[in-house]
Amino acid sequence: MKNKILVFFIIGFVLYLIDIGLNNYDDKEIFISDSEITSLITAWRSQVGRNPNDDEVARIINDLVQEEILYREALKLGLDQDDRIIKRRLAQKLSFLKQESVEKLPSSQELKDFFNDNKEKYYIEPEYTFTHYFFSSENNSFDRSNKAIKDIYGNKQINADPFLLGKNFVDVNLNKIKNDFGESFSQSIKNMELNKWVGPIKSPYGHHIVFISNYKNGYFPEISMVLKQVEIDLLQLRRDSAIQEYLEEIQSEYKIYINPELTF
Amino acid sequence: MKYLRNLIILIVGLYILTLGLVYVDVYDSRPLISLFKKMQSDSALEVVDFSVDSTKNSNSRPMPNKDRNPYYGDLHVHTKYSFDAYVFGVTASPDDAYRYAKGAAVKHPLGYEMKLREPLDFYAVTDHGFYMGMIQAYADTSTDISQNDFAEPFHNLNRLDNLTVESAGERSNIFSSVLGATIIKPYPDWHPNLLKAYFSRNTQGALRSFDYDIHKSAWADVARSANEHNDPGNFTTFIGYEFTTSTDIEGGNLHRNVIFESSKASIRPWTRIDSINPEDLWTWQDRLREKGVDTISMPHNSNGSNGQMFEMESFKGNALDVEYAEKRMRNEPLVEITQVKGTSETHPLLSPDDEWADFEIMDVRVGSRPPTYSKPSGSYVREAYLNGLTLEFTKQGNPYKFGLIGSSDTHVVASSLDESNYWSKVGLLDGDPENRGSVPLKEENVARLEEYMRAFNQPISTVTLEQGEYANTGFTQWGASGLAAAWAEENTRESLFAAFRRKETFATTGPRISVRFFGGYNLSSIDLNSESLVSEAYSKGVTMGADLLNNDDQIPEFIVWALRDMNSAPLQRIQIIKGWIDMNSGRPKEKVFDVACSDGLEPDPITNRCPDNGARVNINDCSITSNVGSSELKTVWKDPEFKVDDKAFYYVRVLENPTCRWSTWDAIKSGFKPREGLHETIQERAWSSPIWYIPKQSEVEVIPLGGTIQLRNID
Repeated sequence: MKNKILVFFIIGFVLYLIDIGLNNYDDKEIFISDSEITSLITAWRSQVGRNPNDDEVARIINDLVQEEILYREALKLGLDQDDRIIKRRLAQKLSFLKQESVEKLPSSQELKDFFNDNKEKYYIEPEYTFTHYFFSSENNSFDRSNKAIKDIYGNKQINADPFLLGKNFVDVNLNKIKNDFGESFSQSIKNMELNKWVGPIKSPYGHHIVFISNYKNGYFPEISMVLKQVEIDLLQLRRDSAIQEYLEEIQSEYKIYINPELTF
Repeated sequence: MKYLRNLIILIVGLYILTLGLVYVDVYDSRPLISLFKKMQSDSALEVVDFSVDSTKNSNSRPMPNKDRNPYYGDLHVHTKYSFDAYVFGVTASPDDAYRYAKGAAVKHPLGYEMKLREPLDFYAVTDHGFYMGMIQAYADTSTDISQNDFAEPFHNLNRLDNLTVESAGERSNIFSSVLGATIIKPYPDWHPNLLKAYFSRNTQGALRSFDYDIHKSAWADVARSANEHNDPGNFTTFIGYEFTTSTDIEGGNLHRNVIFESSKASIRPWTRIDSINPEDLWTWQDRLREKGVDTISMPHNSNGSNGQMFEMESFKGNALDVEYAEKRMRNEPLVEITQVKGTSETHPLLSPDDEWADFEIMDVRVGSRPPTYSKPSGSYVREAYLNGLTLEFTKQGNPYKFGLIGSSDTHVVASSLDESNYWSKVGLLDGDPENRGSVPLKEENVARLEEYMRAFNQPISTVTLEQGEYANTGFTQWGASGLAAAWAEENTRESLFAAFRRKETFATTGPRISVRFFGGYNLSSIDLNSESLVSEAYSKGVTMGADLLNNDDQIPEFIVWALRDMNSAPLQRIQIIKGWIDMNSGRPKEKVFDVACSDGLEPDPITNRCPDNGARVNINDCSITSNVGSSELKTVWKDPEFKVDDKAFYYVRVLENPTCRWSTWDAIKSGFKPREGLHETIQERAWSSPIWYIPKQSEVEVIPLGGTIQLRNID
């Protein structure tokens, strides 16, 4: 292996001498590093299971050289311009590097300020405690539930179905109710009277008769209750906004022109 | 003089002999690494408590439910810290991953947004343990390690001309060369760092391309992020990583995800550099457990293991024994049955009588270039269950008595679970329909793809079909799957981890189908319409993942109950899959019984099949027949072919009505017809962990076959 590299090294050196001899300096110099070649050859070996022969080595290196030439010619022709994907990758790479550079713990005043500015984020949603009778859509849920709501006020036995996700729900918020019972059901819960059997209410699984026994108001917690979370969120925001700050810093140096008359 | 010469010959001889012995002993072609492995890389046993002091929301924690709730999550997620994620153009962090799971939108490397329809209950970031954080450091030219020559290929990885389609060759090449040990080069044998590695009990220190500090800080960040996002009662995270190993000879995939029970974890992950043998991983887990740190590991992509994941012999080719079985089950109670890279339930060649066996089959070995066929036998879960029974029959213990989960294996931090909104998993390589082969390539992309495949000595991977030329890079065998689900009292680490341990879990291909499964005697005495159904079933029977012991030779009965996902298609049927060893012939057998049918239909007692419920899919717009299918299915079932002496397992498969596959959605959205040769529709499904029926101690004398039994293991 070493010998082959040496051979190319010598060839390269000869070319280099000729190059100097012709006194032809410009940006048309291509240096292929040893490691570039060895890593390609190792990759070749791990694919094919043997060392490449001389012809194959020549081809690998030739391909590498040609790729580099095409790359440079493409740059000259400006093929990297106006290419969304190339731009986006470069932009992503820069923002990624910027994000990495933040890691200082915020002071307690900064935490307080952040908390006060973002109170909504820490709002504890209202919570409901309810029980329900379920009537499966597999078994005539509409009629049975309509009968049941009358029976329940007539103190009669209710013949309902078990619900796979359970019967009693304690201190659950509307999001959780939505995930378990669907959007329209959670909307009905929201406007429902307490301590009273109400129904039938439709869900994707059938009909329900619902009894809400407790409602806890939503509230804004004290900062001490959520301090750690505030810190996490502030650090996260800083990581996210590092790129924004960088942009603001540098954006003023740019003039941006957009055609105000463009219609589409 | 002569004395000295003899001494030198002796030393050299001893050295060669040691290497030789080590090679034979640990079965690894990297003698020096092997030598270190004998030291067990003890540095990976140091325990660190990564917990953050979190007081959040302790006041809004829901009440535990003794009848247990189903919780859904993903235990297989990669971020920028995985060596290949960075190669795939991924720069999103573990924090991004957890925010996605909680319902926020995150960005795909190609720039579009990914968002869940509803948040998940738990999530575990599991980056590749080996070289964790390293590739990112190579690419960042401000780090010291990036100045080394081995880091150079990564410098220009995302360089100007690296477009999506045509960079496939190079990107895959780097992926393979990392796995193929191009940069895993140890220092030369005389180097002082080798001694240092030896004395610090850390094999990784022997590698030139390894920087322990970068590695540790990446791991610490993974742990920090998990602990910060863990919100007991509402959202659970686990510290975890992927142990990415394979067999030395044929590249059989032996990947496993490891998750930690609490905020305590080892100072670094145990990786394939410590050992490529999964049995050594279990030893490490056992030793951590002695120190009070519990973990479980979960194999995945057995389908791409070329029969190695569920072998009938050990990694080194020895006979399996009770000790092996116990060790494996102690550490690996669960297996990931489905994910983006295909489903590993069973294969049409293994289960020719199962009409649903040809489902999301991926038939190549993981990471193989060029793609190489993966042998079905030994690669699928159902056969492993049967082989486990056979091993138990020959008194070798049952190492294949695992429960089931699904997960996604996403490499872009976001699970892709929805067929109609699919981004696959490897970022730039398969993030758009052209690249993943569901719509024809544009002309310029055809030429580029071919050129690059040629440049990297790969077969030309395009194919010309009726509608044009398609990328044929294997991504068509991938899909939008899967989810892990567990029945637990509450959404906390303790409660979920306990559910994983007792295997009270099920897997789905993405939708949130939920399924209850109980086995026992006289369960038909329970009223299926009673509110106390679940609590009675728990007290009278056993649930998924458990053993059902013979009880006076009674015939077992099973209660099965499934609820649809309100955002997916209605249910079509529930099946129970039974596998057993026939005591007369010694043969493993399997059978699929439809036990509950939608729309009030009944299974045919002869064929055990539900009649067609008439559900169809319109391939032109992916609409499905309305008013067909069930929102829930529920029944009690008695095995009509039960034999008291046959060891058996039973698991549930719930099928939805058919819907469009992602490849059909892709094509329709781009104005094409679905690509020919691919399944146009799929039936999303859920699988429960099995219940194992344990007969009375057999009076039949099992005569061990030569060499397969070690006498000390016979009771």
